[in-house]
Amino acid sequence: MQKTDERAVGAVEPSTGADVAVAVPSARASAGGPRRDWPRHWPLLLGACALSGPALYVLSRWMEQPAMQAWRTVALAVTVQALPFLLLGTALSGAINAFVPARVFTRLLPRRPVLAVPVAGVAGVVLPGCECASVPVANSLIGRGVTPAAAFAFLLSAPAINPVVLTATAIAFPGHPEMVLARLLASLATAAVMGWLWLFLGRDTWLKPAVRHTGHQPEQSRLREFRRGFQHDFLHAGGFLVLGAMAAATFNVAVPRTVLDAFSGSPWLSVLFLAALAILLAVCSEADAFVAASLTGFSPVARLAFMVVGPMVDLKLIALQAGTFGRAFAVRFSTATTVVAILCSALIGGVLL
Amino acid sequence: MKRPLQVTLLVLSGLGLLHASLFTDLSLRFVKEGMRPMLVASGVLLLVLGVAEAWSHQKPAGEDGHDHEDTDAERHVDAHGHDHSTVPRIAWLLFLPALSLLFYAPPALGAYTAAREAPKAVTEQRYFDPLPATSPVPLTLTQFTSRVQQDHKRDIGGRSVRMTGFVTPAKGADGWYLTRIIFTCCAADAQSVKVRIHGAPALPADTWVTVTGTWHPGGKLGTSSAPAALDARTVKKVAKPVNAYTDALPLF
Repeated sequence: MQKTDERAVGAVEPSTGADVAVAVPSARASAGGPRRDWPRHWPLLLGACALSGPALYVLSRWMEQPAMQAWRTVALAVTVQALPFLLLGTALSGAINAFVPARVFTRLLPRRPVLAVPVAGVAGVVLPGCECASVPVANSLIGRGVTPAAAFAFLLSAPAINPVVLTATAIAFPGHPEMVLARLLASLATAAVMGWLWLFLGRDTWLKPAVRHTGHQPEQSRLREFRRGFQHDFLHAGGFLVLGAMAAATFNVAVPRTVLDAFSGSPWLSVLFLAALAILLAVCSEADAFVAASLTGFSPVARLAFMVVGPMVDLKLIALQAGTFGRAFAVRFSTATTVVAILCSALIGGVLL
Repeated sequence: MKRPLQVTLLVLSGLGLLHASLFTDLSLRFVKEGMRPMLVASGVLLLVLGVAEAWSHQKPAGEDGHDHEDTDAERHVDAHGHDHSTVPRIAWLLFLPALSLLFYAPPALGAYTAAREAPKAVTEQRYFDPLPATSPVPLTLTQFTSRVQQDHKRDIGGRSVRMTGFVTPAKGADGWYLTRIIFTCCAADAQSVKVRIHGAPALPADTWVTVTGTWHPGGKLGTSSAPAALDARTVKKVAKPVNAYTDALPLF
């Protein structure tokens, strides 16, 4: 139904149906007035439909190739897997925004930001689930007056140290409880260090202004605020999730796993390589332990780096963060987090494993 | 993005999730069976959100106070406000998974993915129960591989076994792979288990078959030098299982 809408908007230039379909977002943006008079353009509409038939046929033939099918399956799998967690996260974020007064957080967290950072990091234990849930929650925490440094420590630690993920790690590495401990400590250390780094080096100007929620307005219904905030955050973050999923699927299909063996020999290179792989593959944090366990050719430290970096930085998270906090933030924060996470896992893994 | 479009998007996404998880088995191509209740709940939630949005939009202005605020307060973007009535264009991308789930779902991963990945490492197992006396013995591909490569008692040698999987063509001239793809979270972390089949012509890729045969000798049985390979006696086409991503026993 929205297809016909788009056609009508773009029908000023009736050359090809395919062109019009591609130009959807920009056309939609300027759609204010002419949307209502679309029946007047019906001959053009008919033409556009006739032209788009062959175009769709060619497109679908291309989509049926094995590589494209695998790409679609993986992209859709990442999206479907993450959607419930994203809904949970955006619902929580909406609820925090509409129902929880700001004074609750100031009472729960230590007043001094330096102390609030590790406390918020440890508090990540309470949010079970994938990393997609933590981005909107961290965003609403900032909106409710929590110092950004503490919110970012929470953002980084929550997907890595919650009970679901730690249990999965224990199952994936039977007989190696030190791997679970190393993952817990390295993730906490990274989250705390990143929080402190933000405290001393971070600038609020890197965050995009819209990051601050208004919170509850006295004259509005809380339930309505919750619903509108929830819906807005979900649609917004969901779009970025799809973008990230498509990027991850591209790497997943384009880079065969057999390439991995080339890098497993050198200990330092293998740590860096698995960290890069964690960013590109965007496996959800509940499953990455099993993937790490299957990378048998690599050293334990490299596999630890895979599990520490993965929940904190990956393609879909970078997309989500860019959408929520702004691109300037996402680039700097993800780069710094990657470096800190690799260093922490090398240090802690070197001692424990 | 206009509000009617937001409603459409929410409803389509909800319907897509429900279609994949409640009305059909589509979701099994992408995620684990255990995700189903969460997907159904998410689908219902999205539908409710969409309906609530449509309902609050349809209400004639003036019927209750909130709709006045809708135009005044919510459309208004103040310095640190967060305008909830418009959604950025990136949300358009959500139409892709919604429509794809509803009308154009891709198939489960198959031979293309399996051919490009090194087989999954078999977990170490010290003790093996004696093989049952039935012949042929039904085994999963993982069981067969670990029996061949780790069982010091070498029970598997000379026994007739039966396994089910799909066909993945091999690069070399001789034989093809009987394959299963398994994952732990979603199709993005897919790994494959393969057993090389000798002595039977290869069927088209992705055909599901049940193969009966005996271990194809090579290396030293019970050590990792032994190949996970089978001399096929019979190859029979079977229907594709509903949940293709499990390494299950053959059904018959």
